[in-house]
Amino acid sequence: MAHTESSEKKTTATLTIDGRQVTVPVGATILEAAAELGIKIPTLCWLKKVSTTGACRICVVAVEGIDRLMTACNTPVKDGITVTTTSPEIIAARQKTLELLLVNHPLDCPVCDAAGECDLQDIIYAHEVDRNRYAADLERLPIRYDWKLLESDPNRCVLCEKCVKVCREVVGREAIEIVDRGDRTIIDTVSGEPLDCDFCGNCINVCPTGTLISKPFKFKGRPWTFNVTPSVCTFCSSGCQIDYHSANGRVERVTSGDDTYNRGILCINGRFGYAAFNSPERITSPLVAGEKAGWDKALATVAGTLKEIVAANGGNAVAGIGSPRVTNEESYLFQKFLRGAVGTNSIDSEARLGFLPSQIIQYEMLGYSGGTRDMNAIEKATAVVVIGADLKGESPGYAYKMIQASTKNNAKVVMAFPRLSSTAKYANAYLQYKPGSEAWLVAGLNKALIEAGAGAAGSDTLKSSLDALSFEKITQATGIPEAKIREAAALACAGGSTAVIYGSGIIRSADMKNAVTGCVNLALLTGATGENGVGIYPLDEKNNTQGMLDMGVCPEYLPGYHAYGHVSEFGDAWNCAVPAAPGKDLFGIIDGIEKGEIKALYVMGSDPLQFMPDRGRVLNALKKLDLLVVQDLFPSETAKLAHVFLPAATAAEKSGSFTAVDNRVQCFSRAVAPAGEAKNDAEILQKLFSLVAPVAPIAVQGSEELHHEITRLTKLYTETCDHAGCRMGRIKNRAAAPAACRPLLPSEPAPSGKPFTLVCAPIQRHNGSYTTWSASNNLVAPGRYLEINPSDAQNVGVSQGDQVTLSTDTGSKTLPVRISSAVAPGTLFVPSNFGDGVLSGAGSLAKA
Amino acid sequence: MAQVVFSTWGRNIVDNRNAAGEPAAASFKLPVAFDGEQPLKAFMGWDGIILFDKYVDIPAMTAEYMRRVQTLYCCGRCTPGKKGTKVLSDLFQNVLDGKAKESDLDTVGDLAELLKNCKCTLCQSATVPVFDAVAHYRSDFLAYITSSCGPNREPSRFIHKITAPCMDRCPSHIDIPKYVEEIKNYQYGEALATIRDNMPLPSVCGRVCPHPCETACRRKNVDDAINIMVLKRTASDYEWMHNLQPPMQPKPKKGKTVGIVGAGPAGLAAAYYLALEGYHCTIYEALPEGFGGGMIAVGIPAYRMPRHLLQRDIDIIQAVGVDIVYNCRVGKDISLPELKQKHDAVFLAPGAHRSKPMGVEGEDKGYKGFLSGGIDFLREAYMGRPTGMGKKVCVVGGGNTAIDCVRVALREGAEESILLYRRSRKEMPADVWEVDGADEEGVKFEFQVLPTKIVVDANDQVTGVECVRMAMGEPDASGRRRPEPVPGSEFIVECDTVIPAIGQDPDLKFIPADMGIDITKWNTVVTKYLPHKDAAGKQLNDSMGNPLCRTLITDCDGVFAGGDAEIGPLTVVACVGNAHRAARVIQRWLEEGKAYLTEEDILEDLLTYLGVYDKNEKVPWLDSADRSNQKEVHGRERAAKGNYNEVELGFSDTTAQAEADRCLRCYRMAMVAV
Repeated sequence: MAHTESSEKKTTATLTIDGRQVTVPVGATILEAAAELGIKIPTLCWLKKVSTTGACRICVVAVEGIDRLMTACNTPVKDGITVTTTSPEIIAARQKTLELLLVNHPLDCPVCDAAGECDLQDIIYAHEVDRNRYAADLERLPIRYDWKLLESDPNRCVLCEKCVKVCREVVGREAIEIVDRGDRTIIDTVSGEPLDCDFCGNCINVCPTGTLISKPFKFKGRPWTFNVTPSVCTFCSSGCQIDYHSANGRVERVTSGDDTYNRGILCINGRFGYAAFNSPERITSPLVAGEKAGWDKALATVAGTLKEIVAANGGNAVAGIGSPRVTNEESYLFQKFLRGAVGTNSIDSEARLGFLPSQIIQYEMLGYSGGTRDMNAIEKATAVVVIGADLKGESPGYAYKMIQASTKNNAKVVMAFPRLSSTAKYANAYLQYKPGSEAWLVAGLNKALIEAGAGAAGSDTLKSSLDALSFEKITQATGIPEAKIREAAALACAGGSTAVIYGSGIIRSADMKNAVTGCVNLALLTGATGENGVGIYPLDEKNNTQGMLDMGVCPEYLPGYHAYGHVSEFGDAWNCAVPAAPGKDLFGIIDGIEKGEIKALYVMGSDPLQFMPDRGRVLNALKKLDLLVVQDLFPSETAKLAHVFLPAATAAEKSGSFTAVDNRVQCFSRAVAPAGEAKNDAEILQKLFSLVAPVAPIAVQGSEELHHEITRLTKLYTETCDHAGCRMGRIKNRAAAPAACRPLLPSEPAPSGKPFTLVCAPIQRHNGSYTTWSASNNLVAPGRYLEINPSDAQNVGVSQGDQVTLSTDTGSKTLPVRISSAVAPGTLFVPSNFGDGVLSGAGSLAKA
Repeated sequence: MAQVVFSTWGRNIVDNRNAAGEPAAASFKLPVAFDGEQPLKAFMGWDGIILFDKYVDIPAMTAEYMRRVQTLYCCGRCTPGKKGTKVLSDLFQNVLDGKAKESDLDTVGDLAELLKNCKCTLCQSATVPVFDAVAHYRSDFLAYITSSCGPNREPSRFIHKITAPCMDRCPSHIDIPKYVEEIKNYQYGEALATIRDNMPLPSVCGRVCPHPCETACRRKNVDDAINIMVLKRTASDYEWMHNLQPPMQPKPKKGKTVGIVGAGPAGLAAAYYLALEGYHCTIYEALPEGFGGGMIAVGIPAYRMPRHLLQRDIDIIQAVGVDIVYNCRVGKDISLPELKQKHDAVFLAPGAHRSKPMGVEGEDKGYKGFLSGGIDFLREAYMGRPTGMGKKVCVVGGGNTAIDCVRVALREGAEESILLYRRSRKEMPADVWEVDGADEEGVKFEFQVLPTKIVVDANDQVTGVECVRMAMGEPDASGRRRPEPVPGSEFIVECDTVIPAIGQDPDLKFIPADMGIDITKWNTVVTKYLPHKDAAGKQLNDSMGNPLCRTLITDCDGVFAGGDAEIGPLTVVACVGNAHRAARVIQRWLEEGKAYLTEEDILEDLLTYLGVYDKNEKVPWLDSADRSNQKEVHGRERAAKGNYNEVELGFSDTTAQAEADRCLRCYRMAMVAV
């Protein structure tokens, strides 16, 4: 029927609103069309980031020819319609509806948390509703005081559903629902039991009234009395933009606006983790030999001892362990101090345990380290592959993006992790592989893709390497049947726009090299790194691991990944002699201490006793040091051994920039002054530089000056910041290299001889060990546990809450039992957040 | 009796309260007695009030109606509905308590107007009868207000039912607005749970249901119906595509067991709902394992209903506590009396699998190439057995089975597949999309032809069908024109295979004559029913011509019947609805020793009889969101030999969500006074 071809579907609609014409895309709502004209239609329940609701009925407008008012927020436009947004009839309808909203609404504004920032107040005021023609019997509903971190007063609720929708559509938790009927309809948990959820508090952020409120914030002050400072979250690697609300030098609340990169969505750490800043356990005075000391004495002790050691043994007798938590500028200054002033390249960090070597592989294969596109691109993926990560545990921002892709872009989702994660329900294929078999699993996916016809540069050599691996063997290693691997591989290519996300399971895999290579191959084979692809994203649990490495906090590279051949450029710029040979890495440093070659260790924002695999060995080494300097916020295990403790500042107490794992560089300014006598790391380091530098002391630089120096020397960034105080700061330069698959040769799985295999990974209610200093996080995730499958629990003879002793090659721990079918039989799960991350590999259990 | 005292139903006012002489005539599709015995005194609903008994206390009924709407059904999800019905409910209670002022009655009209802005129609439509009551019975309200003792009327008992045009029209009475809204809210699991409350074969009815609900969709009065069926498929496919475990947990086992004849839609549905209640069910199925599903399996080809998904639905039903004994034909491998002895109750759902004869010359001669019937052909093809089909196939009939046969014939390798039907294309009982599908696949049609004789060669091999062309005759006494043969138009359609597909009826030979189970002249099982009569004394029947309210128990105690064998050959959705009711009645029988319908069951049937959808209703709404239709595989290759891949592809989740957003959520509440 040829004549139908001329009737192409129109993609735009032109309509008239209040006498003015506007053309908008088909599918736009009347509300959006009006906004194009600058006409503001009042709304209460509308929220851009979730599906439309149409609950409040405030946005009613008249459409000519339609014999009722239509709600602007959820009525799509139609070509040729005429809309009126204001008329006496419309205003009367809005006013009456608002009067109904106020029937029995408690006017307890004096003690309501929302007072002063209440959308209901604002809209009632704007509509001049000062009396009520309606009345009904008063029936007060019970207030949920028994929830943790949140409180719900259903009497204040206007049933806008924003909280329910954010929880379901954005967070993917579905913890709260609309329950009951009629005027008793409230927001509650479906079971009626106290809230047991992610505790991300996004519901609080979207609540237009004082129904859902933050308990830690309650009675901390009226909203308008706080200083609000835009900043960047200091916890995970998603790089969310936040606002610190502070008064009297304390952060009392964290919120996030709808216009931020993350659209106002945070996780428990972003929302409640600030309690760590205010922790009574925080140390805010310098300590020398465990005793309070002034800054002058502390710095003089550090500088003096360092100089003595360097004079006697050379710079190589000093090493440093940097921090994935501090700003780029501080990381830069840390390595500058050690390289330039002390004269050592023995600088490393916990990234040695996986992230750095994994990124070297990714860099060699793709010419990029970190995420190859920015995180929000994932929303537009048609296939999302998540390997070796519980997204909400590692970097919740990525979980939210995966959920958007799945629910709002019909993306197919493939997940692979030994433990069933809370986002498993989105997976079209969930591969619950045996821990340790990561390289085999990705090899299986690579093989299935190639056999299904996928190809990329280098896939021929990859194919020959995979020909040697049979699916029988892959299944034996991973526990995943061949058909399931093939199905997952097919889903991984669905729609042609794939995103590949890989986490600690891959990055800290026993066979990391093949696991990471296989993930990059997967990205190449699915086209994730190609033109229509959505990119490949490594995850890290901490906020600035990527930035720390960019700044050269590692022994093999100078800042900007410059090789030691460029050492003179840095030496000249710093007016120092920087040693030209690569330094020792983390393991080399411990070795060096044991051998007596290294006599001083400078640890900044890091707790090696918590993250190093062999705690006993590290403990003995640290005790051997002539000088252990720890610069931190809290009395960590390592800090307790320090000869000198230098109290540092939190992210709220300083300015600088963080680089998220997807390479977004975001600047932020200081919200509050450092607590007590604490100083920010940059200031401490610059002062020490002046005290130690053998040649030419440098003056304390301003941050702008420092930015320019970093940019000039590293050549990582575009020269200028977009504008002062912005959070989308400098853009990282990127050089794409010709990318090619590499062969895979997964190592033979070695029989452990032990009954259990261990998974140790971060959980959703904490971030690293940082938030274990936060009373709010601890309230809902108080501590360590060991998760075990019900059948294993029965075999071992333990029940919920019993203490068990887990013995591995690297030590043993006694932990309380949690029984859960989230782990497969034969697998144990232990959260890595509580200092148990040292456990790995295989183990055995005994009732304690 | 049944004289209408007063009515505003359908917005027509009939007022016989003070009529001198002949009262105004008014009739509604309602029985004189609610359950055949208790007089129906008044009816209140979305379209007004109907009063048969002048002693009914209208203010009390109004207050009760609004109280039930507010406290039982108002979803609270829009301001006018949540708060407006609360204000109204309390206002009417204040009237009854003598605490109201006359001016309060003005609020009723004011809110009736404001509640037009409600999100859906429940609260809004609830203002219609209460507004009518205040407008026309103001003095009764004032009597309460001024004297605080009311107008001295008789107390009544009230029975209510929530409904919607679509859920009323759906024979399984699925809560369609609820699951559509759940899809709109991305709650696929909840949507599927809602569907399963009344439909345990969601992947089936999400694909092959003739969706009568969509003919009663109020959105049709704006533009086009909501694509209700494909949304059901969406919910069902979501669970499957995300490897989610169905959440149903059966109640603890109650000891008694139920034996069921036939693993078709009715047998499976009854088993599912009884098993959930804790009654272990055993289904006896004549076909071998892997071929469960009754007419769905043998009658609906795999390109419409993928087998692995049908089997998934059956597996899920079995998982709640249902055994299926395959290869067991009741009447042959086990007798019905044995079955009755073995179980505490028996449910007969054997279906309608016997092909009807065509009535043409030669059909009973055993010719080679003349197949026994469409359903037999489909079954043999599905089971991978020889069908006896040649290369050039003629199928006679105009229903869905006939269409399935011509389409399957292509997939079985027929070079030519021809459909012969005695009326025109638009008169075919087959679903339009099925006919179009056959057309696209290259089926040839001969409309308005009547086969008269099977033509064979010397070896009794079919070589063609002799047909005569039909034309519309002169109108008969009733004014209706019937097709008549055109003299001299005889011609032969060449073919080597003829498949008659003109209908099926139940094969009830397995029921021994001495069990006291009655069988109708249409060869269906007789079940007990309520003696509903209209004002003229005529028995009320449903749209199939069966008595309106049936308990589905046969004249033999403990033996119940349902599905095609009780209704007459119909649809999956009708069989499921009928079997679900049977399951409830069986449960009552097992627990209380009585097989009866609840008042809610009865009101459900009465509403269906009354009609909930009004195609003439003006629905003010902006028609700015078009109906979405699912994508399908096009081209003749889809019907290539051996290609049974699914033709229709369902919705993407986001298309489903947008389609669901078109729903007007047309809930409404009916309440009767008895």
